[in-house]
Amino acid sequence: MISSQRALETQPACCCICGTRDAEPVGVGEDFEYRTSPDSFLAVRCTRCGVVYLDPRPSMNELETIYPDDYHAFAFDEARFGIVYKARSRLEARRLLKALSGLPSDARILDVGCGDGFHLDLLRQSGPNGWRLEGVELDHRAATIARQRGISVHQGRIEDADLGQSRFDAVMLIQTIEHLADPMRALKAIQRLLVPGGLLLIVTDNTGSLDFAIAKRRHWGGYHWPRHWYLFNASSLKELATRSGFETVDISTMTSPVNWTYSVRNALDDWGAPRRLVDFFSLESPVALAAFTVFDAFNTLARRGALLRAVFARAQSTEEPLES
Amino acid sequence: MSARPAADEAPIAIIGSGVSGLAAARELMHLGFDATVYESSNQIGGMADTQRDPDGFIFDTGAHFITNRFATAIGIAPLCRTVHRYGETVWSDGRAYDYPFGLMRNPRYLRGAINARIRSKRSVETAADQFRSEYGSEIADEVALPLLEQWSGLPADRLSPAVADKLPGGILATLALKLSARATNRAVAIGYCREAPQSANVWHVYPENGIATICAALTTELGDAVQTGNPVERVLTTDGRAVGVVVNGREIPAAAVISTLPVPHLAALTDEESLQPFRELRYRAMVFVNIMLRGCDVMPDTLTWTPGVEFPCFRISETTRSMPWLAPTGSTIITADFGATVGDSTWTEDDQVLEEMVLKALCAIVPSARRDFLGSRVLRSAFAYPIFDLAYEETRLALGRGTGIERLLSVGRNGEFAHILMEDSYWRTLRQVRALAAQLNESVQN
Ligand SMILES: Cc1cc2nc3c(=O)[nH]c(=O)nc-3n(C[C@H](O)[C@H](O)[C@H](O)COP(=O)(O)OP(=O)(O)OC[C@H]3O[C@@H](n4cnc5c(N)ncnc54)[C@H](O)[C@@H]3O)c2cc1C
Ligand SMILES: [Zn+2]
Repeated sequence: MISSQRALETQPACCCICGTRDAEPVGVGEDFEYRTSPDSFLAVRCTRCGVVYLDPRPSMNELETIYPDDYHAFAFDEARFGIVYKARSRLEARRLLKALSGLPSDARILDVGCGDGFHLDLLRQSGPNGWRLEGVELDHRAATIARQRGISVHQGRIEDADLGQSRFDAVMLIQTIEHLADPMRALKAIQRLLVPGGLLLIVTDNTGSLDFAIAKRRHWGGYHWPRHWYLFNASSLKELATRSGFETVDISTMTSPVNWTYSVRNALDDWGAPRRLVDFFSLESPVALAAFTVFDAFNTLARRGALLRAVFARAQSTEEPLES
Repeated sequence: MSARPAADEAPIAIIGSGVSGLAAARELMHLGFDATVYESSNQIGGMADTQRDPDGFIFDTGAHFITNRFATAIGIAPLCRTVHRYGETVWSDGRAYDYPFGLMRNPRYLRGAINARIRSKRSVETAADQFRSEYGSEIADEVALPLLEQWSGLPADRLSPAVADKLPGGILATLALKLSARATNRAVAIGYCREAPQSANVWHVYPENGIATICAALTTELGDAVQTGNPVERVLTTDGRAVGVVVNGREIPAAAVISTLPVPHLAALTDEESLQPFRELRYRAMVFVNIMLRGCDVMPDTLTWTPGVEFPCFRISETTRSMPWLAPTGSTIITADFGATVGDSTWTEDDQVLEEMVLKALCAIVPSARRDFLGSRVLRSAFAYPIFDLAYEETRLALGRGTGIERLLSVGRNGEFAHILMEDSYWRTLRQVRALAAQLNESVQN
């Protein structure tokens, strides 16, 4: 375990809903995927709210280290991922359009944590022509890639971005909320950006899933050590949204092979399995992804799919936007 | 972190800079409170102490392992090495049996254990009853009880059944963990921690520079909040509430007091009537005779229980079997643990005599011990194990419900008077400190 790599600077964290540190340990893991540091990390669960969070977590000035240049959200391209890229694009476009189906044809849509612009690009290609699409992205490398795709991106944190008030018909947080330092603050900022009744779509890893139950002590793909700072199940996500001024439209679970694939990969890697076997379980492996997709589809039927998909609406009752 | 309401309150006083005191101070800081740690000694760490020999031998006071989870929680995981194996044996009739399941290879023990399982349970009032009904009289009388008696210095029928804490998770879970340790080549922690779940993913590690690394890490953020060489002389209370401490003859107001002292010592520092019963709680002292030998892996396993009368000690460990880096290559450290009472003949015995006693007994297990002998080093610990004497069982149980004084916590192994290791101490201390913090916040708001 002792390594010459530099240990990360860390800071203590607290529950993003109740603000306390009343938590119990759940899992311990390492950056199995990118090995960006020699550290190991602890996930704890708030005994009041059920939110699972990293404590301690990397300091904000370590973001460049923990999101390396080859990070997949910055580098998910067709050339490298081939058939997986095509399949994922088609699937995600269909899901997005379904979730946003009620929006007007000139809707303004904001993607928070848009990464390289993958989802906005999908909407541009397959949504109505009149949709006005914008993104927010903290990482300057990803923001640059998104801009090169011709997408309008505000670089920075959603809480700090100057985007006016009541401007958007819908905001998406697709596999973003788990990366945020303060999800409650972000949701409150989003609440102010939305028109009354405007929609918030959240997709995030599900701690109510079967894969979490099995692998939560260490290898769960959804930990994405140390990049996922807050993780939810349906009830904690709903609590967070309610306290941030949202009403729940729908919360369901969704099939995804990604966490299953990584859970197995992380375990094999951790136990020193042969490289070829470890590499079989990757986002570049259509066979593994297909098999886990089928498997997780059954979990989704039992409402224990790997991802949570929630649609919230800015509460009509709150005339005034919430204070931060 | 939730913003603290502006408090004009005095800092919280923490007594003792061992693992628990430092963990309490760090947590309070994370919660936005001011705390001062007073330490009587000139160095931090308390019982989590590491000593080094110029020849490269490393001694802890007692054997010390921590888990990867605890190391992670306090931020020292990158400084720790994985312990690949750990096992216990019982030396009986001139041979070693794996503990606990290997004992079942002895047909008499097996029969006794099965009988104990089948027989309807009699009421359990003492540790002796407890062991006999759990494991059968054969194992209890020949193995468990002699060890317990040496270890605690009292006959087993005068000890509380609570000393015989069951393995968390039971037999099947224990077996599964043992198998997972084999499969992963990690010393999976078994029966080590009760406050957080056991799993194949929680295993023993050891800090590269010794166990003292733990407290060094816990203090890094604390700066001058830790005041060594400053014994607390009194704990001040008013109307059943802790209000301050006396240090160097000076009264220092405190919003709350957190003590990690042995609880009888804490009681002696106050005038509170309600704490006085705690003064009768007693601890077993321990003398650790470290023998340095040429060779390695000379014992049957990392820890060997020695219930036989031919052994003056109750267990012998070879920590280097788990942590080879504690001794220079080609050599090893054997540690014999003696139960003692401060001031008794074992406690005051000459080091050379102790060394000779151990060498003589050790030859039954390691015939070459004398030939390979390199030297010895004797360490003593006055507060090694709380004694669960039935004579004060009510008092012990009362302490489990708190000190009874508002804003006075008694935490840590000796403060809680509990057989807990550092990780459990850590989680339990955090829990109590967080509850105290919530209470203080509430009283500021009202
Ligand atoms: C033989 C043995 C083996 C062990 N093995 C393990 C193991 O393998 N793994 C593990 O996790 N744990 C192990 N432990 C337990 C571990 O050592 C203790 O739980 C831990 O060190 C206790 O820390 P503490 O902070 O509670 O108390 P202490 O370390 O006792 O700290 C109390 C502090 O208070 C100070 N003090 C005393 N009086 C005053 C005063 N009047 N004013 C101010 N300061 C004062 C003392 O100097 C001391 O520094 C073992 C213990 C023993 C005895
Ligand atoms: Zn909470």
